[in-house]
Amino acid sequence: MLAQKVTVQYPDEKIELPDRFHGRFELDADKCIACMLCANACPNKVIQMERAKVGKKQYLTKYVMRIEYCMFCGLCVEACNQDALHFSKVFNMNQYFRQKVRLILVDRPVPQEEEAGEAADVKRPATEGTAGAKREVAAGRSAAKEGES
Amino acid sequence: MGENVFLNIASWIRGFLDSLGAPLLLNDLIMMIIKASAVIVFVSLNVIWLILMERKVCAYIQCRLGPNRVGPKGTLQTIADVIKLVTKEFLVPRTADKVVFLLAPLIVFVPPALALAVVPWGDGMAAVDMNIGVFYLLAVTSLSTLIFWMGAWGSNNKYALIGGMRVVAQMVSYELPLVLALLGVIMITGTLNMSEIVEAQRNVWFIFTQPLAFLIYFIAGISETNRTPFDLVEAESEIIAGPYTEYSGMGWAMFMLTEYVSVMIISIMCTVMFFGGWLAPFGWTFLPSWFWFFFKVYLFIFLFMWIRWTYPRIRVDQLMGFGWKVLVPLSLANIFVTGIGMYVYRAIGW
Amino acid sequence: MKTQTYFLNLGPQHPSTHGVFRVILELDGEVVVKATPVPGYLHRGVEKLAEARTYTQVIPYTDRMDYLANMLMNWGYVEAVEKLLGVEVPERAQYIRVIVGELSRIASHLIAVGSYAADIGGLTGFLYTFRDRERIVDLFEMLTGSRMTVSYFRIGGVADDLPEGFIPLLQKFLADLPGLCDEYDGLITGNEIFQARTKFVGVIPPEKAINYSLSGPNLRASGVNFDLRKNRPYGVYDRLDFEVPLGKNGDCFDRFVCRIKEMRQSGRIIQQALKNLPEGPIQAKVPKVIRPPAGEAYTEIESSKGIFGCYIVSDGSNKPYRVHFRRPSFINLGCLAELCVGWKVADVIAILGSLDIVLGEVDC
Repeated sequence: MLAQKVTVQYPDEKIELPDRFHGRFELDADKCIACMLCANACPNKVIQMERAKVGKKQYLTKYVMRIEYCMFCGLCVEACNQDALHFSKVFNMNQYFRQKVRLILVDRPVPQEEEAGEAADVKRPATEGTAGAKREVAAGRSAAKEGES
Repeated sequence: MGENVFLNIASWIRGFLDSLGAPLLLNDLIMMIIKASAVIVFVSLNVIWLILMERKVCAYIQCRLGPNRVGPKGTLQTIADVIKLVTKEFLVPRTADKVVFLLAPLIVFVPPALALAVVPWGDGMAAVDMNIGVFYLLAVTSLSTLIFWMGAWGSNNKYALIGGMRVVAQMVSYELPLVLALLGVIMITGTLNMSEIVEAQRNVWFIFTQPLAFLIYFIAGISETNRTPFDLVEAESEIIAGPYTEYSGMGWAMFMLTEYVSVMIISIMCTVMFFGGWLAPFGWTFLPSWFWFFFKVYLFIFLFMWIRWTYPRIRVDQLMGFGWKVLVPLSLANIFVTGIGMYVYRAIGW
Repeated sequence: MKTQTYFLNLGPQHPSTHGVFRVILELDGEVVVKATPVPGYLHRGVEKLAEARTYTQVIPYTDRMDYLANMLMNWGYVEAVEKLLGVEVPERAQYIRVIVGELSRIASHLIAVGSYAADIGGLTGFLYTFRDRERIVDLFEMLTGSRMTVSYFRIGGVADDLPEGFIPLLQKFLADLPGLCDEYDGLITGNEIFQARTKFVGVIPPEKAINYSLSGPNLRASGVNFDLRKNRPYGVYDRLDFEVPLGKNGDCFDRFVCRIKEMRQSGRIIQQALKNLPEGPIQAKVPKVIRPPAGEAYTEIESSKGIFGCYIVSDGSNKPYRVHFRRPSFINLGCLAELCVGWKVADVIAILGSLDIVLGEVDC
């Protein structure tokens, strides 16, 4: 009867989460080099990414996590060499619809301006590169859609 | 202070009826109905409070907070629960014996309500001051065995069947020590009227002259109300919910309400028979008699809850063994000793 | 009078089968004539899944077997891969493994003790042990980021070093642990009704315990002194001083008491490990892609439920060819059918609870 209460009244008060907490993922898209290490480390193939070749570098255009299959084991974060993928402390990932569960971390077009700058230096190969990248992206997207349906 | 509040209300109503020119018989009848329904309404509302109290006590024992969202400090939680239960569908299993199954929750509240009619809530505050009050109360409360059994049998469920068998075995065998324990008190007072039994404790409460009888009565009482450590009937870790397994919505709620009313009745009996009913301890009569009565009753209810949330459950054969091999012989011995004591006192001119 | 036995389906949805476990009871009144356990409702095919994963990717799946002693499950698997690879685990990692492994054992036993109290009917004991387990789970959260599915072990070491502030919290818990055990002893073990319910119920004699291949506290409660940590030390257990608590009668009560005693011993082990915790690396040098040489390895560790064995066959690729887990809960369950006969329905619950099974592990 006299023992201390241990209940934490959740929405009003919250427990402070430790730094290593496995919450929702965060991706620092600028650091990401689209090396696919995280996607390969995942036991459940949660991570789907699309990339385009911009100049000599791989450029990340889309990064989708199928959170409904995620075990939050942390192997992807551990695999990241560039320190780009992180856990946040957000644990409330509830959604009313299954379609919304999927976590889209990056969804962006291939940057045109940078390429324009690069294209100024070397004209023909760069334009070819962008066109190729676009084609690759389109192929990847349609493949992803097939996978979803 | 407030001693005669309820008596005044009663006499005011009676006077009002008189002024309308109602004949005496009709007047009495109306008063009786008003008193009885007042008791029933009070008890039903009280149950709502008791359920909240149980949950709070349980939570405090288990280092939790208990209900705290609905209403201030969670006080409206039970009301919300009742609304939920009323709006829920009442499922009737296809294989159930429909008449018996539906009848059981309807009449399960009747025996405790009948029993409450004779309870003296304060000085001169019994709805019906019957001269065989104790006997009537015991007779009426033991009826509920039958209703539990009806529910269990009507459900046509194996868990319910086991639970029902346990109800019958348990209630029948613990009825005996329950009655025998009270016999000691009745021998001393020589009356079955509950008000008179309370009056007889003006000098000394019977807990001091009949401590063994009180213990036996209390233990058998816990068993009669099917609460831990004798909650084999609804042992949720073994037979799900016993007789109530198939009940849903208000049907289940009626069984639940009855359990709390039974707890209240046993607590009331403990208070009346052993703890001086409405009599104030240490002559503290500055508080009204009904306050003392409720204070004591609630102390007992709290004790019931405390035990419930501390003890594990006994097994069915141990339960029967304990009842027949320990409680019954002890209560018989208590009657024997009481009888000798009375002779001795009489011999020395008490 | 002509009587008839009847069948009662205890489970798969039942409050005290500790998950989705089913026992078909043939009852004569309340007395069990025949009990047929039916496991398999939680089968997820972990062993098959492992064949399609790389060696590291299997680790999260082992968490989900005995989800109450997840660190020990990690350990059992990782130990086998290390044997296959021939990796020497660094000293610090070994000690950290002992610390988290024993914490996991305490957490598992806390649940066993609490849920056993709830099985017998005293719900308060359940809440008390869960309150204290919460502290261990919080420690795990601090260490690994997850509360139950830790995936903390890595092949050749552990995933992360102990974080800042971990050791003081752990030491505070260890200081409280004997007091907490006393509290359980007072609330549950010392209770007359609890003793009446559990003493001389479901007795397993030592010979029968060995014949049924029981292990863990269930075996030791029968008086057989066999603990892998002592008899075949792995990790750094040979450098730690602890006792193996034994029971006398092999009944439900002894099995229960054995667990409380083991928690006290685990506390001692962690204290020593903390004292001897060396500095150094936490991860041995293993290649990024683990390709063990073709061959097979079998290792056993002492999990909280008993001997947890892991058998791995490698074909030289980066995925195991076959993985098999010897799950102690499943094997301990073998004697249930025989133990229950002649006891009442309430005792079936008491016996099942005292064997302390986890369905995630039974069905794997």
